[in-house]
Amino acid sequence: MSVIDRVTAPFERFTQTHASRMATAVIVGVLAFLWLPIGVLVFMSFADGGVLSFPPDELTLRWYRVFLANDAALDAIVTTLTISVPATGITVTLATMIAYAVDRYVFPGRSWLQLLATLPIIVPLVVTGVAMVLFFNGTLGLPDYVSVVIAHVIRTIPFATLVILPTFMSFDRGLEEASKDLGADEFETFRQVTLPNVFPGVVAGGLLAFTLSFNEFVYTYFVKGSGDPTLPVYIWNQIRYNVTPEVNVISVVFLAVAVTMVLAAVSLTRVELIARR
Amino acid sequence: MTEPSRSDDGGAGSGGDPEPVTDGGSAAVDGRVSDLTAFLRERPRLRTLSIAGPPYGILVFFFAIPLLAMLVVSFQADQIGGAWTLGNYVDFLTSDTYLTVVWRTFLISVQVTAIVAAVGYALAYSIVRFSRRTTLLLLLVILPFWTSYIIRMYAWINILQSDGVLDSILNLVGLPAVGLLYTKTAVLIGFTYVWLPLAVLPFYASLTNLDGDLIEASKDLGAGPIRTFLSVTLPMTINGVITGIVLVFIPTFGSFITPRLLGGTNNVMIGMVIENQFKSAFNWPFGAAIGMVISVVVVALLLLATRFGGGLFGAGGETS
Repeated sequence: MSVIDRVTAPFERFTQTHASRMATAVIVGVLAFLWLPIGVLVFMSFADGGVLSFPPDELTLRWYRVFLANDAALDAIVTTLTISVPATGITVTLATMIAYAVDRYVFPGRSWLQLLATLPIIVPLVVTGVAMVLFFNGTLGLPDYVSVVIAHVIRTIPFATLVILPTFMSFDRGLEEASKDLGADEFETFRQVTLPNVFPGVVAGGLLAFTLSFNEFVYTYFVKGSGDPTLPVYIWNQIRYNVTPEVNVISVVFLAVAVTMVLAAVSLTRVELIARR
Repeated sequence: MTEPSRSDDGGAGSGGDPEPVTDGGSAAVDGRVSDLTAFLRERPRLRTLSIAGPPYGILVFFFAIPLLAMLVVSFQADQIGGAWTLGNYVDFLTSDTYLTVVWRTFLISVQVTAIVAAVGYALAYSIVRFSRRTTLLLLLVILPFWTSYIIRMYAWINILQSDGVLDSILNLVGLPAVGLLYTKTAVLIGFTYVWLPLAVLPFYASLTNLDGDLIEASKDLGAGPIRTFLSVTLPMTINGVITGIVLVFIPTFGSFITPRLLGGTNNVMIGMVIENQFKSAFNWPFGAAIGMVISVVVVALLLLATRFGGGLFGAGGETS
């Protein structure tokens, strides 16, 4: 036995004996760390005294009523949807095309296409945000709305592709051959055989793209001028300049959207796919 | 626009009904579509181009070219189209203030990455090796990640501010208040909170791919759990670790939301300087030059990571 082994032996024995308990402690501890802040937000949205009081004196739905009567906040939700819905449609279409091309065809620049569809995750948001405002607003002079939709598409393509591509790859292409042997052409085969099979993955990709777009802040903040804010930009202004208890309610709205979308996406595909980000 | 992509959209809207729709209009469309498919069948290059081309073009034109435009603008004086100059870089690199900010940003990023890697790896390891409900646990870990980043920071403002949730709890148990908001600790907590789910995923993926027999073999040969971890588990999952490190370090280095909301004026990070140039100082070329500085750091880190075996494409699971 070496000296090092003799020194570490007690620790080895301790770890051996308590491994399972340590693992449970880690899991419980980290999950508490991840979820308690969210619990605090939900709890405070019902707090009568508003933002600063914890524990609250009395529980109330007052701030939900304030939120529902606040046109600025509701307008921000509408603004967000008018961006997120078209952006999601475009992203799903493009991501499906990328998945189809990468899965089926060998062509020059194939790995470049994959790289380009991954890079927006890796390049810091602030860098791409700056680049976009310089090019879209400065060079091209695009209208705000168009710039923001394009920005959201770029932001969401990598995530949609990461979910949609594996569903294409795991699809059994023998089925397509069978369809063609039975006399269907490529388009009929795609519509009646391929699409129904990859459909859950495509929808899951769309749900996640929508969630991401609904939450999108950095690109929007840079690219969008002073016009109607999206909900995340609205929240940012609120937090920075005049926090009201209503922000807690809007947090719950964000939370509800995320939980609904992610659970729906998970039910359509494997959790590991959603887990990639 | 190509036929397959158009059919994607239709399918997504109609609920993916596998039965063909057989009214007169769609039969006519089908006829034209069949002509087109036959036409493309003869020309495989055109077929590939019609499917790969549109997303390719959009990514190049709206993502790659803007980044190049940023490079160009960073060499212009005062405004877009200004005289060519190295001044933006000279100003930045000769300013003690900015260099201090870069150094602070680097240190915070290293600290955050170390904390997240340690905690995230411990969590992934615990889930993979000791838990049977992996799907549920993984879901609970990633769900917070899909809520708004700003909202998650806002939650921590509530918790950390003087007389906030944390101080109230400390008071209840008779401890003095700490008022952590606008300290570096707050920034570290905030970053750890947002990146932890992100880092757990590559760790989880590489640990799942690890052959459990290797661990058994190591133990059979007399190694304790710590020795086994250091000489088998960690080396075998190093790609996942590197991917996780890259995924945490890069966005931390470029972040402005967390230091702005949790760090106050003593913890200015480089991302905040860029934000200032675009939102209040309105010196876009200077902001572009700082963007290039961040990009250089990012590229250097990626090259380093690729050298040590992290997957550039592995923005998640592809780490085996």
